[in-house]
Formats: sequence, C-alpha cells, structure tokens
Amino acid sequence: MKKGLLLLTLSAAALFTFKAQAATLPADTGKAAATVPDPPLVFSGSVDTYYKYDFSGHPNIPTSFANENNSMSIGMIDLGLKKTVGKASFVGELSFGPRGQSQSIPNASPGVVYIDHINGNAATGTGTAYSSYHIQNLYVSYNVTDKFNLTAGYMSTFIGYEVISPAANFNYSTSYLFTNGPFQNAGFKATYTFSDKVSLMAGIFNDYWNVYQSANKVNTFGAQLMIAPVKGWTAYFNLITGPASGTEVDLTTTYQITDAFKLGLNAADFTVPSGVGLTGGFSGVALYPQLAVSKAVTLGLRGEYFMTKSGNYVTAGPPSGENVTAITFTANIKAGPLTFIPEVRFDNSSKSDIFVNNNAFTSNASQFVLAAVYAF
Amino acid sequence: MTVIAVLLFAGATYAQKELLSFDENNKYIYYQVADVPALPKDTLLARASYFLKSDYPKIKLSHSAGANLLNGRGKFLVYGSGGLLKHEHGGISYTLSIECKDQKYRYWLTDFVFTPYERDRYDNFVPEPGKEIPLESILKKLDKKEAGSYLDETGTFCKQLGEKLKLQMARAFTPKKAEITKKIVTDKW
Repeated sequence: MKKGLLLLTLSAAALFTFKAQAATLPADTGKAAATVPDPPLVFSGSVDTYYKYDFSGHPNIPTSFANENNSMSIGMIDLGLKKTVGKASFVGELSFGPRGQSQSIPNASPGVVYIDHINGNAATGTGTAYSSYHIQNLYVSYNVTDKFNLTAGYMSTFIGYEVISPAANFNYSTSYLFTNGPFQNAGFKATYTFSDKVSLMAGIFNDYWNVYQSANKVNTFGAQLMIAPVKGWTAYFNLITGPASGTEVDLTTTYQITDAFKLGLNAADFTVPSGVGLTGGFSGVALYPQLAVSKAVTLGLRGEYFMTKSGNYVTAGPPSGENVTAITFTANIKAGPLTFIPEVRFDNSSKSDIFVNNNAFTSNASQFVLAAVYAF
Repeated sequence: MTVIAVLLFAGATYAQKELLSFDENNKYIYYQVADVPALPKDTLLARASYFLKSDYPKIKLSHSAGANLLNGRGKFLVYGSGGLLKHEHGGISYTLSIECKDQKYRYWLTDFVFTPYERDRYDNFVPEPGKEIPLESILKKLDKKEAGSYLDETGTFCKQLGEKLKLQMARAFTPKKAEITKKIVTDKW
C-alpha cells in the first residue's frame, strides 16, 4: 500500500512539474535552430563459411573466392566502422580470413617464411608470407555542400557489379569480370550530385589497382556517371584509365522492375596499357535476373560471357582469343541476419579444353556451393 | 523498491507501435489534439511554422495546404533490433500535418512508407532503389521481429515529435533582432 502510494505520488509530481515548466518556459529568442544530432557510430560486418564441390573432384572454375574444393571452409570475418560528425565522416573496414587476406590481394604487412621442405623434399629458402588482415575500405569523406562531396583514401573500386563482401553480393562464387577487374583503388575523388537522378564523380588514383601504395605515381584517372532515369532503375557508366594499369570501361545497371523481380547487367571492356610490352585485355557481359518468390527466398541466375582478347595478356580465364560462358543458379534463403546460399554453376569454354576431369582436359566444368553468410 | 523498478521497466518497454492507430482508409496514423488556452490561431500557426523550420528543417512543406494547415513530407531512419550493434536498416517517410484553430491545434502523421537499406561497396547503408513498402504491409513482407521493431521506432518517433511540438507551442518566441556591436571611437576624446 505504502509503495503504491509512493509510486502514485512520484507520477503526479512528474506530471505537475512538466505542466509548470511548460507554462513558464522562457521565450525563445530565435537565435539558433535546434541542432540535428549526428548519427551514432555504426559498427557492421559479416562472417561467412562455405562448402564447395567441383563435380570433377578437381577445383576447376577460377572464382576469386570459394576456391577450396571438398572442404568445409571459411571466407572471412569482416568488420566495419563508420562515424559522421557534421559534414565529415570516416569509414574503416578490415577483414581476416582467406577471403579477406590473400584472396583480396593486397599484402599490407608481409612477413618472411622460412622454408624447410617443398613437396616433402628437404629444402631451404625464404618466401613471402601473407599478412593476417586486409583493409577493405579506409577513407575519409567531407560534404562540402549537400551536393558536393570529397573523399580520399583506400576504397572499394567503383568499377563492376560484384564486390568482395559476401553480404553485398547475391551470388557466392564470382564472375570472370569481377576476378579480372580491380578490387580496390586508392585515391582522391570528388562527386557532384546534380539531382537524385544524376551525379558525376571524377578522381585520381594510384598507378596500380589493388595496392595501398603507388609504385611511382598517382596517375590513374577515374570517372563515374550515375543516372536514375525512372524510379527503381540506376545505371553507372564507369571509366578507369592510366599508363600503368590500362583502361577499363564498364556499365553496371540494376532495375527493380516489380516488387519481386530485379534485373541487373554488367558489361566491361579492358585494354592493357601501351608501351609496357603487353597486348590484349578482356571483355564480357553478365546478366543478373532475380525473383523474390517469398519474403525469405529469392532465386537468381547469372549468365556471363567472358572473352580474353588476342594478345599476350593473361587473364584468370580462357586463353588468348577464346571465350567462356558461365551459368550460375543461386538462391538466397534468409533467416533474419543469416543467409543460406545454395548455388550450382556450369562453365563452358569455346575452344580449348581448359578444365580437368578424370585426369583429362575438358571444355566443361561444374560445381556446387553451399554457403552461409551472417551479416550484422 | 522492487515493485517500482519492475513497473518502471515495464513502462519503458511498452510497445511503441501501440501508439499508432488506423484511419478510415486503414492507413497507420498518429493523431493528437491539444488545447492551448488563450492563444489565437495565428500565434499557434506561427509557432508551428517556427517549430518545423528549427526542429525538422528537412521536412518539405507543401504550398497547397489551406490557410490554417501546415503539411509536409519528411523521413527518419530506423535501426532495427540489433542490440548494441546498430546500423541503418531503412528509412520511413511520412506526411506531417498541423492544423490550428483558436486555442487548440491538432497534428497527425500518416502515409508511412518504409524503404529498406542495403550495404554498398563502400560499407555505407543506402536505400535499395525501387523498393518501397507501405508500413501497413511490412508485417506481411518482412521478418516479423524486424517489422515489429520498425513499428515501435515509428511510434517512438511520432511521440517524440509530438512532445517537441507541445513544448514549442507553449513557448513564445521573438524574432531575432539585429545585434549592434558597440565600438569605441578612440580619435575623439
């Protein structure tokens, strides 16, 4: 009884205090608008694991990740931090694990490996070890105005449809276009947003792709035109060109045609830099239709055509002057933050037998993957 | 003491989505009417207009609203039920209307539309192009737990907006006067 009375008294006191305050609030002199609070520190990331089986028993398809055959394997743990204060913000994202280390290319802090055997035979020597982490994104950004932004640092590339993070890709295996294109670019870029339908980015980047430090110069030019002609349709026209890294032009577009159906397209052409003794490059196109069949399940198909141009440039793909087609069926089955990804893929080369089956070369390869990605 | 602690805790976790009702078109609405004795309509309208400019400057006011009505479209972010590790899960746009009469005003928020956010290649969370879900449909279209948390956050947002509006309506304001800087003239003495 006493406790109930005390609670009632406290509540009444709070109510009367509020009313009294409201009645006697000092006049607002109109000096300054209320400040909008900054967003909180954002901590995000993902963890992924997979099982892959190539039906030949031999790992054939040159996908960037999910390369270990007939093994319960891990991708990476990816950790990202972002904070915005006023007009300034930073993003720092790093990853640990095979997908986030050697498969994501840069070797930030290589160590020395002392070799005492090779293939079971005694040997001595040293080699380069891969560092235990990889920076995915590390950049600072400043909104000069609502429409004009400056960003500098080491960033995921603006080229292409697919990315390194498994939480941002629909398919678990990667396309030939992704594997052969840039992963990250370090540089400085400026973006102007004309409207919510058009924006333009231009920037200068280190001479080579996928490195924290330039070899010599910051002499690669990059540009991106974004247009959103109708609601749900976004297209990016991309260019990256430099005397050391070559020239790639790229179109990446997605269209959410209905609530359930989305269509994506990626087309790219790369030519090697001149004057460095290389000739050739690659080109390709990939189509990504996806259909949400329920609130938890989306089915997708990736159909890709990839060609290595004639020349001495070697791609992670078919030989010079030849092409490969790859058809991938993927499902995303969501259970809260966890996504299960069963996938079946069929690759077929045009001429040479570039895959291996039953100790013989063949023009076909196929694999099954089951992956789980937890994104937070 | 234990009883008080339990009651306070229970109050804090009361589902904020209960603050939302359905209107005659079966759309979610947060609707409140408030009495402000002794204040005429024009004063209330001026205070409401100042409130929107100062506290919600990004709300785009419609110019076709009536003489006693302020009406505009705004947006707030929702962070889901991820505990300590929170990031933007989506944005909810809404229509806010404030109507004033002598000695009273009413306001309502409705036309809620949820836009899911996705992670982009730069580790930012950005709107998924072309995906918009009316709030009335999110329990059918999204995971129940997440949809429930977005409804709670909507209720909390509406309540907080209402409380700020109430404070502002009770508070007189005077226009900013030009400040005259006093200067000392040293050549005449």
